[in-house]
Amino acid sequence: MSLALSTLLYEWRRYMAAVVALAFSGLLVLAQVGMFMGIGKAFTAQIDRARADIMILSPGATALFNGGPSGVPRRIMPVVYQHPEVLAVADLDGSGGRWQNIVKDKEPGGDPAAPGAKKMEFVNVTTIDAMPGAVTVPVDYSDDLVEALRQPYAVAVDQTALGRLGVKLGDQASYNGKTVRVAAVTQGYPNMMQATVVMSRDTLRMLGEANTGERVGPLMVQIKDPARAPIVVAQLNSISNGQFKAWTRQDLAEANEGAMMKESFIAIMLGFSLFLGVLIGVAITWQTLRGAIMANIKEFASLRALGVAMGSLRWIVLELSFWVGIAGVLAAFVLTWGVSLLAAGSGLTMSFPPMMVMMVSLMLIVIALLSGLLSLGVLKNSQPADLLR
Amino acid sequence: MNTHTKVHGKHGDFAIEAKGLVKRFKTGRSWVEVLKGVDFDARHGDLTMVMGPSGSGKSTLIANLSGLLKPEEGRVDILDVDDLWTYGSGRIDKFRLDHCGFIFQGFNLFPSLTALQQVMTVLKYQGLSSADAKKRATTALEEVGLGHRLHQRPNALSGGEKQRVAIARALAKDPQILFADEPTSALDGENGQVVIRLLRRAATEHGAAVICVTHDPRLEAWADRVIHIEDGRILDDQRRTPDPDAQLASH
Ligand SMILES: Nc1ncnc2c1ncn2[C@@H]1O[C@H](COP(=O)(O)OP(=O)(O)OP(=O)(O)O)[C@@H](O)[C@H]1O
Ligand SMILES: [Mg+2]
Repeated sequence: MSLALSTLLYEWRRYMAAVVALAFSGLLVLAQVGMFMGIGKAFTAQIDRARADIMILSPGATALFNGGPSGVPRRIMPVVYQHPEVLAVADLDGSGGRWQNIVKDKEPGGDPAAPGAKKMEFVNVTTIDAMPGAVTVPVDYSDDLVEALRQPYAVAVDQTALGRLGVKLGDQASYNGKTVRVAAVTQGYPNMMQATVVMSRDTLRMLGEANTGERVGPLMVQIKDPARAPIVVAQLNSISNGQFKAWTRQDLAEANEGAMMKESFIAIMLGFSLFLGVLIGVAITWQTLRGAIMANIKEFASLRALGVAMGSLRWIVLELSFWVGIAGVLAAFVLTWGVSLLAAGSGLTMSFPPMMVMMVSLMLIVIALLSGLLSLGVLKNSQPADLLR
Repeated sequence: MNTHTKVHGKHGDFAIEAKGLVKRFKTGRSWVEVLKGVDFDARHGDLTMVMGPSGSGKSTLIANLSGLLKPEEGRVDILDVDDLWTYGSGRIDKFRLDHCGFIFQGFNLFPSLTALQQVMTVLKYQGLSSADAKKRATTALEEVGLGHRLHQRPNALSGGEKQRVAIARALAKDPQILFADEPTSALDGENGQVVIRLLRRAATEHGAAVICVTHDPRLEAWADRVIHIEDGRILDDQRRTPDPDAQLASH
């Protein structure tokens, strides 16, 4: 083991401040990246796991629901259906309203705090056609799930929203004043902004909220040969007359994710955090390294006396700061992991693309090395003549 | 190439020859002359002791001789080097790496390294492979009686043991010149005796020129030569016959 590494391991307390500073710099950036990517993924999940090969949205829309009108005029549906390769066309109907859980009377003497807290939330509603294999049914919905939603007034809620909505499987709840039943729980459809409730088109109709107007939601289209989706998309777009835009599923998912990161407030927040993280990281790591090197300055001076060149001592310091950087990266991972667990507990799933994680790790190591370079100056104090007194 | 001092000199050959050393320090607005034209020499195989009152310039003299502090005037011929102070600092470092050992009053050991690693570190900078460095370091530590302490860190060693690790670190390089500045003053009588005997042995058995600064007159018993310095001048220079079995009375 090298001198630098064993010094770091043995005198870790001395380097703790630097490692913690790096870890928080990393957390500052990683947690935000994770949050934004997680939100983006939640929105993209619906697109990724749709059965449709092609999706038709209003021109300019890049998301199925969030942000602006994404629907198209109802008369587009027969136009799309006339394409010889199209097998099925269905609109994604949706609604939204007030959700309240129904709190059962507690048995006397029961714990007054636990479960039954009253919850009131505004929820999104999306629909499926409750038939296995329908174009509006996501590919990861099991037949049992679809079957469960076929029952009148049955709804499905994502695992991550159960707590927020104050319900569990089998509970009844009130949606816009009407009683619905949580008949199924889905996995992997987190939504941090607003909880989503899935029901069948028929249930929505029974609730009196089905769309009968001139405009419908985005269209989900299935074609005979999914491999030909790009060609069919091009053909559909050539007859769109500016009234709609067709996307392959893949392209829409990418546009969706990209649009998320291009939101200027996200870029500004990330940029600012990055700046702050680097600034704080360098300042603290630099001062910590300086102090730690000063603490060993006599030992360094004795090496100088024995003829070890200044350049070699500089390498020791740089190696030391590299290892501090590595320790900082590991600590940042642990912290971020902890925060992401906390977040998951409250319904927000974070997502960490490997590329982003690598860039943040690299950033921390660069911060550490930069601090090492800045603290090289203290080595001037390693004067062996000072040991002769 | 100078002809007075030699690298692989026999016992009695000159290892260092310095002439007219003058060293001044600036204190405030005035200069203080700490060495006032010192002539000095030391021979292979000799334990040369430099004694004198506090502030007389003993440590400064050693710093000038070993290439750590440049004198204002004078020259230092050392081993095969003619006028050391004409060298650049890189070459002086290399010279010390190849030929010089140092022992200080403090032990200056890295807290994180075991005794073996302390000694190996310098050897590796000399270009030895890990295996060779380990072998040499083990031998050196055994020679100072620490064969059973190879894997202890400084916080598990006594003061005397720490100083012996520092001596092993200096001796493992097999230096032709060994500088020691008050090597025993942080130690009790018993440990001081161990240390001075090790220095004596470095001179006798390894043929090193050992230059030892001290203000402890009891150490004179082991010396081949005692030089007294006062106020930056050499007062006297006596040869004597060392007694390797002398006792440092412990009180
Ligand atoms: N870097 C320096 N700057 C200014 N003055 C110095 C410096 N180093 C040494 N001196 C002065 O030079 C004089 C001689 O110092 P030196 O360390 O050589 O003494 P010494 O003989 O080793 O004394 P001691 O026995 O106390 O160790 C002292 O008066 C000291 O104050
Ligand atoms: Mg001194």
